Amino acid sequence: MMKTTNRLTQWVGKTESFKKLSTLPLSLVLNFVLIVPFAIMIFLSFTRWEPLSGYDWWHAPIAGIPRFVEAFGDARLLWALIRTTIFVAVVLPVEFLLGLGMALLFLGDFRGKKGFTSVILYPMMMPWVVVGLGFYLMFQFFGPVNLLLLRPLLGEGAVIDWFTNPVLAFVVVIIADVWQWTPLMFLIIYAGLAAVPKRLIEAAEVLGASSVRILRTVRLPLIKSLVVVALIIRALEAFKVFDIVYIMTGGGPGVNSTEVISLYVYNLAIVYHNTSYACAVSLLIMIAIALVTRLAIRPLEVRAE
Amino acid sequence: MKTAVRYLLLVVVSVWTLAPVAWMVSLSFKGPTEWYAPYLIPNQPIIDNYVSLFIPTNPIGGSFFFTSITEPITRPLINSLIAAGLGTLLAVMVGFLAAYGVSRYRAGGTFIIFFTLLTRMLPGATFVAPLMVFYASIGFIDTYAALILLYAAVTLTYAIWLMKGFIDEIPPEWEEAALLEGASPWTVLRKVTIPLTKGGLAASALFIFILNWSEFLFALVISVTEVTTLPVQISKYVSAVGRMYGTMASVGLVATIPSLLLGYMIQKHLVTGFTFGRIR
Repeated sequence: MMKTTNRLTQWVGKTESFKKLSTLPLSLVLNFVLIVPFAIMIFLSFTRWEPLSGYDWWHAPIAGIPRFVEAFGDARLLWALIRTTIFVAVVLPVEFLLGLGMALLFLGDFRGKKGFTSVILYPMMMPWVVVGLGFYLMFQFFGPVNLLLLRPLLGEGAVIDWFTNPVLAFVVVIIADVWQWTPLMFLIIYAGLAAVPKRLIEAAEVLGASSVRILRTVRLPLIKSLVVVALIIRALEAFKVFDIVYIMTGGGPGVNSTEVISLYVYNLAIVYHNTSYACAVSLLIMIAIALVTRLAIRPLEVRAE
Repeated sequence: MKTAVRYLLLVVVSVWTLAPVAWMVSLSFKGPTEWYAPYLIPNQPIIDNYVSLFIPTNPIGGSFFFTSITEPITRPLINSLIAAGLGTLLAVMVGFLAAYGVSRYRAGGTFIIFFTLLTRMLPGATFVAPLMVFYASIGFIDTYAALILLYAAVTLTYAIWLMKGFIDEIPPEWEEAALLEGASPWTVLRKVTIPLTKGGLAASALFIFILNWSEFLFALVISVTEVTTLPVQISKYVSAVGRMYGTMASVGLVATIPSLLLGYMIQKHLVTGFTFGRIR
């Protein structure tokens, strides 16, 4: 007994075994929350099973291929996908441009810079759910956006019932996301711009370039790789949007006019108990994202080294 | 003139940033008669909204409300603290070990790099269906264990990359010197690396706690009654029968306070955290 413990402590103490042991806890956790569920997902997506089927999932009958085929003919899935893509496509440039504008606003020295920076960056620390809640309250019919902004600006009749209009409800979701994540873009772009060597700017100024031209030909090209990384990470995060939609609209108004992809999969699994179909859809989404990530991850890896 | 324009724009940006939270603060001190009124400063400031979070039957501004919320937020608050706290601990311990292995011994190779990043890229919702099936068969639904594991898994990527950055900053020669003296890698880790990265570890832990504290999707799926977390309870307030704007605002603010306190403590690490250490 004594001997085995000794040998064990010796083995554990070696550098080679340390290398193996260091990632062991990680693989254990990943197994439990990722690999096993992933295996179950693949299995179930070939079956027809619901929690109410009356037998355990491992007895589920194989359904051939129809689960995936179903997904290809699923209009609701297609719409959720289109909606999420629109969301990402709108949110990304808006956050980038606003972040760039704010970064330019903050370049150089002025009084109260630290104070203003602290004020501006807090949204990204807030729980997503609370951000959703905040904008839900702001855009109520008797909320401040209607009563304090639209009515004084556009007159008595200009109040809008935001959350009953499919398009406007989606706009509110977009505004909430822009509100929360523009500060991150701002910080990234600002850090990049501030690191551009002063002599480059001065040289361009001496040559008589306008500040717009300096921005376009000197500053932006120098922070390009930084911006690409920020945009990729932001795009992949935005694609996962769930919390704010769930809180503000729950997918509504109407049948499912603001339902994004995460919410649809959640609904399939939790609300409709259509477990095996949810698995099939999840698997398709994962494959799609893994393919995109494989391409998108390259610029990330370059920076990692 | 130029400074005037700049300050004008700065004020506009600040108003835009502060507006939602300012409105929530205002609502949370207003009575029901003022919830629909278009002004910030309440005529009759009250704290009933906050009291009613802990005593749901408490009247707000003198009038009683009938809602579907019958439980005080004490339990969700404690649940959130337990789940987020232990989830953070797990993520930091597992993540630190892995980060150290990757940083110093290239453990796991590029596989770990790709895999951990991939887990961040996949929407959590795609794991909901199989996770429910799996956890239902092993009796994990509505338990702290499930929450803690999931929280740790969701934040592990952040933990690894953030801490790898801090470890990379230490010159490896210091550790090699200790190794040459005959110390085992574990002793080096305990006596050299951890003391040197203490600040970074603390910042990572706080950052991960903020993320865990906000986690919503998995908490929503796993909790039934026992382990309801604060974000889940907030969603119940939003969908509650009877719109209690003031109470909704106050519960949101209660959940926000810890995030902001910790967030400002690690202000300069936020960008690094959110970009997995890609940008610092």
